[in-house]
Order: sequence, then C-alpha cells, then structure tokens
Amino acid sequence: MTELDLGREAYPIPGPPNSNLADILERVLDKGIVIAGDIKIDLLDIELLTIRLRLFVASVDTAKKAGIDWWETDPALSSRAARNALQDENRELRERLDALESKSDETSDER
Amino acid sequence: MTELGTEPDPDESALYVFAVCDAPDPRVFDCLPGVAEDQPLRRLRFGDLTAVVQTVRAADFTDEVWQVRMSARDELERYARAHHDVVSAAAASCPTVPLPMATLYRSEERARQALIEETGRFRTALERTAGHSEWGVKVYSAELPEPTPTTAPPVPSRVSPAPEASAVRSRPAPGAGLAYLERKRGVQAQRERRYEDSLRLAETVDAAFQSLAAAGRRLRLHAPQAEGKGHVQVLNATYLVAERRAIELEALTRRLRGATGARIDISGPWVPYSFVGEV
Repeated sequence: MTELDLGREAYPIPGPPNSNLADILERVLDKGIVIAGDIKIDLLDIELLTIRLRLFVASVDTAKKAGIDWWETDPALSSRAARNALQDENRELRERLDALESKSDETSDER
Repeated sequence: MTELGTEPDPDESALYVFAVCDAPDPRVFDCLPGVAEDQPLRRLRFGDLTAVVQTVRAADFTDEVWQVRMSARDELERYARAHHDVVSAAAASCPTVPLPMATLYRSEERARQALIEETGRFRTALERTAGHSEWGVKVYSAELPEPTPTTAPPVPSRVSPAPEASAVRSRPAPGAGLAYLERKRGVQAQRERRYEDSLRLAETVDAAFQSLAAAGRRLRLHAPQAEGKGHVQVLNATYLVAERRAIELEALTRRLRGATGARIDISGPWVPYSFVGEV
C-alpha cells in the first residue's frame, strides 16, 4: 500500500534470536494493540505468570548459592527475614536475662 | 500462504489474528507453523491493510484450555514463541502492528468486521512506529550483595562444645545493648543507601536512553538471575528508537557502563510491541 508514508524500505529482523521466555512473554502478553476478540481468554499478566510458572526459580536457587539473598534478609520482602530478626533479638534478650539472673543469684548468695 | 478466499468456516474453527501489517511478503511465513499444525498462515485483507491470520481449532482456544496452558511452562512457551515468530517475520518484511497473544474471531467475516472498525488505531500505531524499533535495556546493580546482617556477638553457650561452658557464661560486655542497636541501625542504613543507589542508577540510565529514544516504558523487574555474578536487576525498560539512531545505542551503553560500573544489557531490535498499545 502506498497511502501511508512509512519512510523506510528495509526492515530489520526484529527480536533478538536468543530472547529468553520472560522477555517474550512480557511483550506478547501485556503489550501489542488490544482489539476485542470474539473469544474471551483471560491471559495472566506477566507478574502472576512469573509466580505461577516459577519462571525464575532455577535462577533464584542459583542466586542463593552465589550468595545473592538480599530479598530474604529484607523483612519488607521476606516473612522469613522478619522471623529471623525476631529470633535473633529473642535469643539475645534471653542470653542477657540469663546473665542478669546469674548475677543476681551471685549477689543474693553473697548476702 | 494464500490470500483468503470465501471458504466457509466450520463451526468448530476460529480465526487467530497475529498482527496487522502494511503489505507483508507472503514468503516470510512459508516455514512458520504459527499456532496450529495443519493450517497455513494466511493474509486477510481489510481496507488497505492486511492481517496475518491462521485458522485454528476453536477447542484449542477456549478460556479453560488457556488457563491450563498458562500453568504449563513448555506449552505456554511454544505458543508465545510461535506468536512472536509470526509477528517478527511480518515485521521483517513491512511495517507491522503486533496484537497480543490469543486474539480470536468466530469467523473470517467477524474478524474482518472488527479489524475494519479498528483501522484508525492501526494506522496511528503504524505511523507512530514507522522507522522505529523497540530496544530492551536491563540494568544490574554493580555492587556486591549486601552482607547478611551480623547478629549477636558469638555466644559461648552456642559455639563451645564444652557443656560446662554455659554455666560460666559471663555477663554481656558493657554497652552490648547499645552496640547491638547500632549494628541494627547500620544494617538498615546500609540497606537504604543501597536502595537509593539502585534508584539513582536506574534513573541515570533511563534518562540517558530516554534522550535518545522517541518513547520509553518501564517493565517489571525480573527476579534475580544469578549467572554467578551477584547482580540484581534495578531497571527493566524498553525504548522506541528511530532506526537511524539505533547505531548510537552501543556507544551510549558503553559510555554508561563506564560511568556507572553497572552491568547494562541491551536487546533488540524488537517489533515495537510496547509502543502500539495506547493508540
């Protein structure tokens, strides 16, 4: 067609050859021009899909092995981190209580 | 691939629409399977535009089937890549507006009617993206992972193998509580600093690419991908870049890598999926 002056002759082959699945999904699912179809299919968005398919779970395991665990130690991101922080604090307080008690025992023995 | 005739659609078939194009070269679809095994990819003319379509079994494209399909990674990947391959092939031969995966009509006539109604939007999108490609940019924090917050100082009762050690546990050193609080504060402050650094890095890189691009979009950050380097993604963005400026991308990326020390990956050119949705 000639009405649209699109101003180019040669088109590159789009899409990197080794695109990973997440890169493709975040484009073919959420993007593109949406027109109403006859058949309603509710596609999950990329975020839900990532959770459901565990798209990155292998990588996350590898990440942990490599010591990348910032999301686990951030209480805002991980309930386990919040629990650990509490446990640490608890343990520390118990130790100190023990120390205080043994100290007060010594004191009462001396009396 | 053949021009669509007037063959009747049996009740059990549906028409899958991949993309809308200017004038695709039919040969680019010859070797592509599309999303159905036994039917060729075809062109459906509407007005002066062309849609790339394929007849599929309606039973393979119900919501129920797709809810299951989206739980099966391999299956979903097959469909996503098949869709993407057709869109990319079309775009390799002419200006193309991609449709999202799984846009379906009950019949050719229904599809043609819907497409004609949307002609204005297709034209706007084609004009907007003409001579442009989409480029993905991912930035990974250059810093080493945050150390695990140090907890209490070594506790003799826990580390000593001698059972009597607990009996002689000494009281905490003076100021232990204060030191504990300061340690906690230090970790928190460090975390905040890292977070702010990440935001700043993302802003810097985004601003630089925005200045070269016609438009930009932030995508969701991917979960950490190890690749054994300790990098955490701080920016996942995509830009609409004029083809004449695409040559500048590499130099810009190199310069930013040097200036920030961060790992910056670019991918492209993509069909401008991310820049046709608003019209």
